[in-house]
Amino acid sequence: MAKYSVIRKIYHAGPLILLYYLCISEVDTNFEKIFEIFTLNFQIILIYFWVLKRPEIMANGHIFLAGLINDVVMGFPLGISSLSYLIIIFVGTYVRNKSVNTTIASDWFTFFIAMIFSNLLFFTFLNNFTEISISMTKIGYNMFFTLFMFPIFWFIFNLYRITFIGAKDA
Amino acid sequence: MSVSRDDFSIAFRSALLQRGGAQKFSVLSLIFLAIIIFFLDVYGSKFTKPFRGFLNDVVYRVTFLASTPTRFFPEASRDIIGYLNLKEENERLKALVEKYESLELNVEFLVDENKNLQKILETEYFNKNLSNIVLAKVLVDKNSPFLKSIIINKGTRAGILKGMPVTKNNYLVGRVVETNYLSSRVLLLNDLNSRIPVTLDEGAQAILSGSGTSNPVLEYLPEDYEIFEDINIFASGKDGIFTPGTPIGKTNDKSQVDLFVDPNQLSFVTVNLNVQNIGDL
Repeated sequence: MAKYSVIRKIYHAGPLILLYYLCISEVDTNFEKIFEIFTLNFQIILIYFWVLKRPEIMANGHIFLAGLINDVVMGFPLGISSLSYLIIIFVGTYVRNKSVNTTIASDWFTFFIAMIFSNLLFFTFLNNFTEISISMTKIGYNMFFTLFMFPIFWFIFNLYRITFIGAKDA
Repeated sequence: MSVSRDDFSIAFRSALLQRGGAQKFSVLSLIFLAIIIFFLDVYGSKFTKPFRGFLNDVVYRVTFLASTPTRFFPEASRDIIGYLNLKEENERLKALVEKYESLELNVEFLVDENKNLQKILETEYFNKNLSNIVLAKVLVDKNSPFLKSIIINKGTRAGILKGMPVTKNNYLVGRVVETNYLSSRVLLLNDLNSRIPVTLDEGAQAILSGSGTSNPVLEYLPEDYEIFEDINIFASGKDGIFTPGTPIGKTNDKSQVDLFVDPNQLSFVTVNLNVQNIGDL
């Protein structure tokens, strides 16, 4: 019984471990070497899905900390990624509070709104309060591919949820 | 209508303030905390710099350790491929050695001639202090779509200062933009924020600007200047930081610059501590 409980805990911690690992390691979702414009923000897909489906797996404090680590590794001012992730949590929680049944289409649409708010805040802060220049074209490509890839990861995460965590929403 | 407005405000408030269960902190409190940390980091550098430096050193080392598995597999596959191509490579290298042996005499002659000419001109050889360089290992090379930078394992303890030029095999790769006690961040030449004064083969001056892609571009060229393919680009040293004549790359058919060193393939770099004008850093 205890063994099953430990395994269950590991499965539950999976998405959070993946988020921390993506933030702290060299692993990135920037595929410019394969296709010049192909970059995506995998972290926000991960956060949005789990906040929407099983918020108890993705605690706000952990996401905040992961954002701080991401800022250190990427060289951004501290707090900016956390802020961006928190906006994703906010929109995700709001959608969760307002909706009873969600489909992939509704999740996709609301993710788009969450991403717009999150990126708007991220790049507004970066442009107005720091000296870092960022290409608007790259932001556009990044947002497009993040949105484009969302359904694929939605299916993968949903499969993980059904198989290892339980299909029932929290 | 009022019910719908109530629903909205309840859902909105709940999303911002909800706590309990796994959520020990509300989103609103964390948003405030993130904003405070952000402004402290951007504007309160005197207070936050030592803390940020310590945090950077710790996180960079953890990142290096966490990335070990991802580094192992590409290295192993490279080793296997290298082993399989050993014979072919041996033949190629033999041919290269023969070629370079024949060139060596010419080089020796040219070096002597160059030194003699410098004596005549009473100039100093600009690379006389080449010994004062620091070899550093690339700790983290996380590819970001927005910032092109690497983290090296040497910092202020090794004498590295912000702005110092970073080279690999004497080719310029970037400059130091952030220093910590045990590590530093190097802004690569292809980053959108990178600007380097350069000189071209024919003596024309320009600014090499990173474009965010792998190929930087030349800006502020002389009027009516036409860029051809295969023009060599060197650091002009006009900023007083980069050593004049450090090779950077050559122009391609798209009027961009192909760097001599691939910024995505850096494992060891050297930092030149002999910047000409430390006051400008």
